[in-house]
Amino acid sequence: MSYPPFVERINGGFRRLLRAAPCIGYYVAHTVNVACVIHLFATHVGGIAMADGPSMLPTMNASGDWVLENRWVNWKNIQRGDLVTVRSPLDPNRLICKRVIGLPGDVICVDPTGQYAPSTEHVVIPRHHVWLSGDNAAWSQDSRKYGPVSMALLKGKLVARVWPLKDAGFFKSNFNYID
Amino acid sequence: MRPILRRWQQAFASNNVLRRTVSTLIWLPTAIIFSEYCYSIKSIKGRSMQPTLNPDSSAWRDIVVFDRFSIRVMGRYRRGDIVALLSPSDSKLIVKRIIALEGDTVKTLPPYPDTEVRIPEGHAWVEGDEPFRSEDSNWFGPVPLALIDSRLSFIVWPWERVGPLWAPGLRSSQFKGSPAWRRGQAEMEREKRRESRVQYAERPPPKPPSDGAMSPLGGA
Repeated sequence: MSYPPFVERINGGFRRLLRAAPCIGYYVAHTVNVACVIHLFATHVGGIAMADGPSMLPTMNASGDWVLENRWVNWKNIQRGDLVTVRSPLDPNRLICKRVIGLPGDVICVDPTGQYAPSTEHVVIPRHHVWLSGDNAAWSQDSRKYGPVSMALLKGKLVARVWPLKDAGFFKSNFNYID
Repeated sequence: MRPILRRWQQAFASNNVLRRTVSTLIWLPTAIIFSEYCYSIKSIKGRSMQPTLNPDSSAWRDIVVFDRFSIRVMGRYRRGDIVALLSPSDSKLIVKRIIALEGDTVKTLPPYPDTEVRIPEGHAWVEGDEPFRSEDSNWFGPVPLALIDSRLSFIVWPWERVGPLWAPGLRSSQFKGSPAWRRGQAEMEREKRRESRVQYAERPPPKPPSDGAMSPLGGA
């Protein structure tokens, strides 16, 4: 039992290449490979990340908190009050952290303070979109500025804070219903 | 415990097929990273990019090189490029053409409520080449650049149309009057019509400092 000849050739050629190269090259290749594993894990399963900036202030410190991020999320089960990481709709290279305020079908007041839009303006969130908001409304660019955000931009969900040890713990939803 | 481990070791050493399989598969993460950040090859489904991709004259689905390097690593977004993006309405990968970038003004097509729209910061206007069969920005409005996944750079199959997608002129440099030449002419005409609907921004407006940074694994 053996492989088809072209696989044998690739395998053999690769092994010969590695044998001919100095031992260091082999170690470099393996180190790169391990780095790839770590990166794949961090981008698809989850890991520790740092969140900083003033937009989430009472929840997170402006100087930066280390948080546990879950990247393996079924976005169908997302709930109001969840903290999520999002690729910024304003800048494709930025990852931002916001709180989900509205789900598809909800009617949302764009800005109750009337700063970005008249306080009487309401929108219905379209299919497969969410409404995001920073906890520090005075210093946050969020859905008030760029409208409902597609779920395709959501990357991960924040699970717990790990670093300033005195604040460590799971993030709880701060949502309650008013009758 | 010890004998079991040794038996496994022996099985691994004596079984050539197993050893080769493992020593090949161990490089899989590097291969996945390469396809995620550099290049991969996929076939195109559907007819929304007709006649540039999957034209009726072709019996096969087009197979195209998807270039993620220029989008994800270089961050190069250009008008006229054919790109694959995640649909904002269902997260599926769709193939469209970038018509306009931030600051441009576009004359829209029917399903869109306004006749003219100015593209906001960090967004793009994407359309399919076949306006009737395509669910594009005329349905869902300007899309964030962050949804754009890769650029389609090269047709590798079918062989009559093998060539780069960024320069239709290269593929149509045949004799005047030949079918390929006529296709190239039609493509250039469509390009002209596309550009006539867009009023370009003079220069990109300066970006205000944004907030709420979230950096992966140790970045500040």
